[in-house]
Amino acid sequence: MDASIQQQLIADLLVESFEGLDRYDHELLQIESGTAGADSLNVIFRVIHTIKGTAGCLGLSHIQRVAHTGENLLDLLRSGGISASPEMISALLKLSDALRSMLRSLEASGSEGDADHSPLISLLDRLQEPLGAVEPIVPAPVASPASSVVQSQCAEPIPATSAPGADAGFGFFDDDLAPVQMPEPLFPAPVPTPAPFPEAAAPSAGSGAGAAAGSPAASVSAGAPPAENAGRSNAEDSAIRVDVAHLDRLMNLVGELVLARNQILQKAGVVQDPTLLSTAQRLNVITTELQEGVMKTRMQPIGNVWTRFPRIVRDVSAELGKKVRLYMEGRETELDRTIIEAIKDPLIHIVRNAIDHGIESPERRVAAGKPEEGALVLRAYHEGGQVIIEIADDGAGINAEKVRARALRDGRITPEQAARMPDREAFNLVFLPGLSTAEKITNVSGRGVGMDVVKTNIERIGGSIELLSELGSGTTLRIKIPLTLAIIPALIVTSGGERFAIPQVSLVELVRIDTAGEGRGIESLYGAPVYRLRERLLPLAMLDRELGIVPAEAATPGSETGSNLIVLQADGRQFGLVVDEINDTQEIVVKPLSKIFRSLTCYAGATIMGDGRVALILDVLGLAQRAAVLSDATAQAAAVDPNRAASVLANREKLLLIEAGGGSRLAIPLSSVDRLEEFERSRFEWSGGRQVIQYRGGILPLVPLNRLVPNLPEPEESSDNAQVVVHSSGGRSVGILVGHVSDIVEEEGSERSAGDGSGLLGSTVIQGRVVDLFDPTRLHLSAH
Amino acid sequence: MPKTIMTVDDALTMRKVISFTLKGAGFDVIEAQDGVAALGVLKGRAVDAIISDVNMPNMDGLELTRQLRQLPAFARTPIILLTTESDPEIKNRGRAAGATGWIVKPFQPEQLLAVMSRVLPA
Repeated sequence: MDASIQQQLIADLLVESFEGLDRYDHELLQIESGTAGADSLNVIFRVIHTIKGTAGCLGLSHIQRVAHTGENLLDLLRSGGISASPEMISALLKLSDALRSMLRSLEASGSEGDADHSPLISLLDRLQEPLGAVEPIVPAPVASPASSVVQSQCAEPIPATSAPGADAGFGFFDDDLAPVQMPEPLFPAPVPTPAPFPEAAAPSAGSGAGAAAGSPAASVSAGAPPAENAGRSNAEDSAIRVDVAHLDRLMNLVGELVLARNQILQKAGVVQDPTLLSTAQRLNVITTELQEGVMKTRMQPIGNVWTRFPRIVRDVSAELGKKVRLYMEGRETELDRTIIEAIKDPLIHIVRNAIDHGIESPERRVAAGKPEEGALVLRAYHEGGQVIIEIADDGAGINAEKVRARALRDGRITPEQAARMPDREAFNLVFLPGLSTAEKITNVSGRGVGMDVVKTNIERIGGSIELLSELGSGTTLRIKIPLTLAIIPALIVTSGGERFAIPQVSLVELVRIDTAGEGRGIESLYGAPVYRLRERLLPLAMLDRELGIVPAEAATPGSETGSNLIVLQADGRQFGLVVDEINDTQEIVVKPLSKIFRSLTCYAGATIMGDGRVALILDVLGLAQRAAVLSDATAQAAAVDPNRAASVLANREKLLLIEAGGGSRLAIPLSSVDRLEEFERSRFEWSGGRQVIQYRGGILPLVPLNRLVPNLPEPEESSDNAQVVVHSSGGRSVGILVGHVSDIVEEEGSERSAGDGSGLLGSTVIQGRVVDLFDPTRLHLSAH
Repeated sequence: MPKTIMTVDDALTMRKVISFTLKGAGFDVIEAQDGVAALGVLKGRAVDAIISDVNMPNMDGLELTRQLRQLPAFARTPIILLTTESDPEIKNRGRAAGATGWIVKPFQPEQLLAVMSRVLPA
């Protein structure tokens, strides 16, 4: 056969076989789970049968031989000679793995590879041995596989059990046919040996058989394909395979066209020529449609990645002794192929994790009142120009307390942070590098590597990931990813005379800060600029200073008379970016930066603006990390400089500042103050040798501060009213008579000195004065 | 007039292998993916020979042979079955169905041509 035809046929074989093996795995898993249709075994048999037959005809003897052994086993199964055992299913899955690896090798190197598949062959052979006294209906091949090495490309590996010596690989039922109808053929008949015919025989046979034909090239089927056939050819013709490199090149060209369109649109707006303007508009519309069209050709259903999951789920759950059923919804949801590639490995990791850590063992599930079989749901859908992928399990869920404890033990968060951290934030600690809460390390996961890599990979393609979990009922990972990476909507801003593009996905809102009027402008919190946005402190980054466009000393926070603030979201947290000017939103074409600039994490790429000049695209996450403005624990762990604004903001603690008399000042953490009350002294009563007051339908014991803290003067009773700090713990309350509450301040935690073991926590410097920190929790215990 | 052969197989690559081989020898070839499709085509036109796989979805090669033999136009048309097992069982069933002969898969192009040259003498 012609070498190029052979190549083409092998290419066809690869496509057909890979598709067939996917179907094979699918049906086999259905058989295993007991949900197989009546035809499943036939489908499976046919896949292997076809691979064997086609591979043999194309001279692929390894594939043929491996497939042949499987075919024998499947034939026995199909005919009811033996029944499927779990071991058999596993062996048959290994068969598809082996065939795939040979096909892949064939695809990559043109040869079937030299992997040794004899263990698999012997396993498949052993499984064919009848169990007990059950005789297989179809006899097993006589020759043992070890001896039935395929002799040549064409030879049937199994010698015929009947008509010994006469089987040439073909024959006729009508014994008279050959002598009567056949003029002496070019070959002796019957062919005495199954040895291949010499290559040269083919053309001569052709000329003998079809002498009347014109040129062989012209012999394409003359008759119009009739109805049924036509339907099929249409289906085949309606889809073609295109080299991915062509698509990438097309996409690049469309990107260039979009840039040119932007330039012309801008020019047309300036020139004011109606003809140019209308032409430019048409160009605009066509370019947009072309862009959409090309993007569509690059779209692939996410199901393409998911086809591997039934198998992964099966193998991983078997390895861990768990029972898991996989549900997939929205397999037809389409994504750009570059994104599909990028999420493939993270998804596999997440799925493995879900089975390992999420879903419990069957015993535990039963004990918890759940069905023995766990459910794992893969769900994909479009939402707001993005694709959402959810991986949900109905397993044990994540214990937020455990995650906090682990992060605390590893020094990732402070005890204060741990105490304040809501569960939702605590869950996201699992994305910290090296943090694993798995109780035991398994083969599958739990080595603490992975989830951070998953997060990084997802964020690299402009996506985000969040984790939702409910203890006892399951965990959901939600991944949001953009539809495409090549062309994105962006906000164009100016700072220090330079233009920058900010991807729209990170944008939350735009705020104009007016510092000229009475309104609050940019404030400084321990040297870090912040802005009060709707009663929330928003850490700020000055774009010009972060990028070093103007020297840092040229401007001080708050000195601007008016600023443009862009509220951005990165890593699930918000921060403000101060820029000189906000220009416009635009569709920009992302051009990667050259390798030299890859280490600059502030930039995600570059784009060409309508006027032909280049603008850098800001990497919002990279910028936020550089400016250290992300205040949650995750960002803090990643922040380069722990003394920067982020840590100060995160560690800040509000303190109640008290003038204790005699010039002494005392501070009480506001978190341990229940209420601040002012009582008339006349309401004080005595009970059991203690000062008390009737308060909220109960009796509140009162304790003067100087009883609890040594070296304090007696509180002055200058006024008729006394200020009382009410502190509650364990259902009981106590009122502390303090002198005078002067202020509520935020502590600069860093300079705290150690306490002496009494009611005092230590001292700190507040507003330039040394202040004693007082811990009411200890007071409460000692007072009772 | 070149002779026309119909090849019936659910495996696309297999049909192509057969098709290339036969076209190279000067035959016209039409393809069908299973027995049902083949019958549909053959009710509308004649062919000089049929090469059919045995194991196919929808309608297998044996049933296709039986049904074709009911049609006067195909009472004597050579029908060659492609079998994988060269065991007597499948041959007996092929003979009972009315097939002309068999070829064991996998085969060499030359074997296929040898069979065709015998059932379709020039």
